[in-house]
Amino acid sequence: MSGGFTRIPGKDCGFMSVCEISAGVAGGKYSASEITEMYIEKIKSMDDGIGAFLTVCEESAVAQAKALDEKIRSGKKPGRLAGVPVAVKDNICTDGIRTTCASRMLENFIPPYNATVVEKLLSEDAVIVGKTNMDEFAMGSSTENSAFRITKNPRDTTRVPGGSSGGSAAAVAAGMVPAALGSDTGGSIRQPAAFCGIVGLKPTYGLVSRYGLIAFGSSLDQIGPMTKTVEDCARMLEAIQGRDDRDSTSYMGEYQQDYAGRLGRDIRGMRIAVLKEFFTDGLDSEIASSVNESVRRLEGLGAAVDEISIPAAGDGLAAYYIISSAEASSNLARYDGIRYGYRPKEFADVDELMEKSRSEGFGAEVKRRIMLGTYALSSGYYDAYYKRAQKYRKLLRSQMAGVFEKYDLILGPASPVLPFKIGERMGDPLQMYLADVYTIIVNLAGLPAISVPCGISRDGLPIGLQLIGPHFGEAVILQAAYALEQELKLEL
Amino acid sequence: MNYETIIGLEIHAELKTKSKIFCGCSTQFASEPNANTCPVCLGLPGTLPVLNEEAVRLAVKAGTALNCKVNHMNKFDRKNYFYPDLPKAYQISQYDMPVCTDGAVEFECGGRQVKVRINRVHLEEDAGKLIHLEDEPYSLVDYNRAGIPLIEIVTEPDMRSPVEAVTFMRMLKSILEYCEISDCRMEQGSLRCDANISVRPAGQKEFGTKVELKNINSFRELQKALEKEEKRQIELYRFGESHKIIQETRRWDSGKGRTVSMRSKEEAHDYRYFPEPDLLPVIIDEAAVSAIKDSLPELPMEKYRRFTQEYGLSGDDADILTGDRHLSEYFESTVSEGAAPKTAANWVLGDVLRMLNESGISSSEIPVDPVRLRRLISMVEEGKISNTAGREVFREMFVNGGSPEEIVEKKGLTQISSEDAILELVRKVIAENPKSVEDYRGGKTKAMGYLVGQVMKESKGRANPSVVNELLTKELNRA
Amino acid sequence: MKISKDDVVYIAKLAKLRFSDEEIEKLTGEFESILGYFQSIDRMDLETVDPDEFADGRETVFRTDENVFGGDREKLFRNAASMRGTFIQVPRILE
Repeated sequence: MSGGFTRIPGKDCGFMSVCEISAGVAGGKYSASEITEMYIEKIKSMDDGIGAFLTVCEESAVAQAKALDEKIRSGKKPGRLAGVPVAVKDNICTDGIRTTCASRMLENFIPPYNATVVEKLLSEDAVIVGKTNMDEFAMGSSTENSAFRITKNPRDTTRVPGGSSGGSAAAVAAGMVPAALGSDTGGSIRQPAAFCGIVGLKPTYGLVSRYGLIAFGSSLDQIGPMTKTVEDCARMLEAIQGRDDRDSTSYMGEYQQDYAGRLGRDIRGMRIAVLKEFFTDGLDSEIASSVNESVRRLEGLGAAVDEISIPAAGDGLAAYYIISSAEASSNLARYDGIRYGYRPKEFADVDELMEKSRSEGFGAEVKRRIMLGTYALSSGYYDAYYKRAQKYRKLLRSQMAGVFEKYDLILGPASPVLPFKIGERMGDPLQMYLADVYTIIVNLAGLPAISVPCGISRDGLPIGLQLIGPHFGEAVILQAAYALEQELKLEL
Repeated sequence: MNYETIIGLEIHAELKTKSKIFCGCSTQFASEPNANTCPVCLGLPGTLPVLNEEAVRLAVKAGTALNCKVNHMNKFDRKNYFYPDLPKAYQISQYDMPVCTDGAVEFECGGRQVKVRINRVHLEEDAGKLIHLEDEPYSLVDYNRAGIPLIEIVTEPDMRSPVEAVTFMRMLKSILEYCEISDCRMEQGSLRCDANISVRPAGQKEFGTKVELKNINSFRELQKALEKEEKRQIELYRFGESHKIIQETRRWDSGKGRTVSMRSKEEAHDYRYFPEPDLLPVIIDEAAVSAIKDSLPELPMEKYRRFTQEYGLSGDDADILTGDRHLSEYFESTVSEGAAPKTAANWVLGDVLRMLNESGISSSEIPVDPVRLRRLISMVEEGKISNTAGREVFREMFVNGGSPEEIVEKKGLTQISSEDAILELVRKVIAENPKSVEDYRGGKTKAMGYLVGQVMKESKGRANPSVVNELLTKELNRA
Repeated sequence: MKISKDDVVYIAKLAKLRFSDEEIEKLTGEFESILGYFQSIDRMDLETVDPDEFADGRETVFRTDENVFGGDREKLFRNAASMRGTFIQVPRILE
């Protein structure tokens, strides 16, 4: 162990897995209440040093656990996530629990309804213990854009946990919860998972309902699980996926039901493409060698690996920022201070009420992206920016689809850089945007991808490997990630 | 110098659905502000729209009735602008791929055969309602209307006078009502109309600068507003100041009877339309379109033709009857029960309409069964009761119900045609009115009317007037 | 890509955001560098790509026309800063 990372000694849940807890609670080995109290205690004692949470809902969590214990005592069959403490990113609506998007704009916003994923967690008897920190409105790659607090990387507390789901990643990495939900618009699950040394899955667009996820880039956003292990990730995905009548973009077809059950399968003969465009000058050499080592190990397990090129893949960043900012500029227009949200103390008229609410309620990065997006959609520029970006997106989709005709998976690093120091990159937005270069093409193409730990740097910092699958190819991704995880047996 | 007026219309009609276009909230009028709202139509963070199938069906129905092409693939876009009545600060609308395009409606107006081309019919959501307080510096917002489905119908600039525009609107309204697409209550805002108007010297090819007129709440106001604006623009031309006509939006002030420039709306709008990412393209297959086509009722124009040809009604009568689907159906039921068409038309356009106006009851809820109206008509035609009594019976049926036979019986309205009985009354009146009798015999024929009236009065209106006339003349001329 | 301060001011107005002069200055610079990077999209030959973005063949789902209770109104409006009765209250709007 290295860096500022510490295990809690004494009476401790250590790193219990989702599977361990749910089986234990369902089987009467532990009570949901004792598990919940243990984790709440852990959050209380640890989180001052990490800053992963914006809200800890002790009262409702304890009540929920108690009700579950009652349910089990009365002989009813508990859900698949019985008693599993889960942290939820603070852009996912929770009925009666403050949901802020880490923004002054929604500092006091209490949703009157639950997101579909939250309903699903509750119906599977998971216990929601808190809401996690993030970059404001999910815009950022370090969680430094939170209006409320800095989150530290539990592996090295001088470094960022990545972002935007940095709070969820840090909470899982520190063992404050066995699982968390994040959201991923351009890499916001995978990059922090890589930075914190955990597993993070961005599902196929449409696999998990977006109802109740506070929108950033509607055509890119997707909720996904963040866990310590691949198996836990599979279990969480089984619980949160599914068709939702409240989300028109929700997938209509058949859903794979048993991801976890397929994990142990042999990967012999699996065809894996290593994407040349991922290995550019900007890639950290330690990450490159760690990823290459993983390739060799996968080959050793019988996978057939080729190097391939997707010409469009290197140019995704521009299209990504145009589309996500354009959609954001429209999605964030509703925050005008009238129905909810931040309101200035003084205003002369409605226009001033709206302008001041927005100017004082949003942080700098959010405003920058709203401005960019507004520009890209404004009269005279739509064709040059938005329409061209959509064309690029279509080109990329077809090139990616072409690869999946021959290969089961595409492989590459999850991030070009190791976790950087807090404050190091705040000055230059473009530098910050470049951190997303490997993850954004997945969102543009609507594909599923996982980040799984594949190594540790000389300084003890985790390195993440990204596996990208075809649409609804989550089962294959999880199978390969599991094989690698079991092969590497990293001491994280 | 003569001038030609060019008018195009943009019409918004609320669709007759149970629920809103993107959520399950009721579209019914609610007395309490914000009673019909939910997280979706309030635009709360995280919510998503799901399209109401019935709204699409009604829009296709409208397009089909207006002879449009139905676009088998159409899509929704976001129109971005800030206003307190717009919860998401964008309106979900259809920009470049609307549900229907390229239609036309034809009619005759003042001797001209008019063809108004329909540019497009598109679906969108309505905004909320603002109420401006008189004495306090506040406005109040009610989102009950936010999310109610609308179609916007855009015509080409094919109308050449305010009267043509009003005629088109009447026609459109009756089409939408016939097809049960919209309630079309202009005064309640479920049918709204903006007009674009320009004038040009006769013979000039290019259009003049157009002005958009807003806030028009009735057909009468539409005509007045267009006439005022037409006059304003022609006068500017006459004084050589046509450059003073600028492209702008003017608000019709019905109280003052004039249009006023809306300065606030003058700044160029940049709506930043882009495809709505929360909704996927709408696909309407051919089978669905034909099913909707087959469900269309007979449209007013066709019915008008039939009423004039089949029933021999005058153009004016057929126009009024077919302008209102329920009225025309009531008329036809009465005819199919056996009433003569012209007589039935006279009753429907006369006493039925009068009673509807008086009572405020809608034509869809006429309380008198057509069979009973037919029986009443027969009683009058057969001379069982007088015309006057017939109208009294109708009023009674309309207000209190009952069959015509019962009412005639109860009120004792049977017509007296017996010559013996009437002769008795005639003799009584002659005896009691020597002055009038003298006048009549002295050549003042006017006195006759008075004497007839007296006989009728004596009979409590039941005497057959032609018998009264005949006998009275005979008796007066006898001596 | 040359971005003028006036462009930025115009966009700010559309987005209903207020910035100080220095912020406008700074944003103008950032816009130039970011949009300059966006020009990389110009390097690609996209002329042959059909702009129709719906090629993946998915279509929207419909909801049946039924009424669903929208939720407790007190809860729905609990985040509103200013109510009068069940109305939302805002400063007077001049039309």
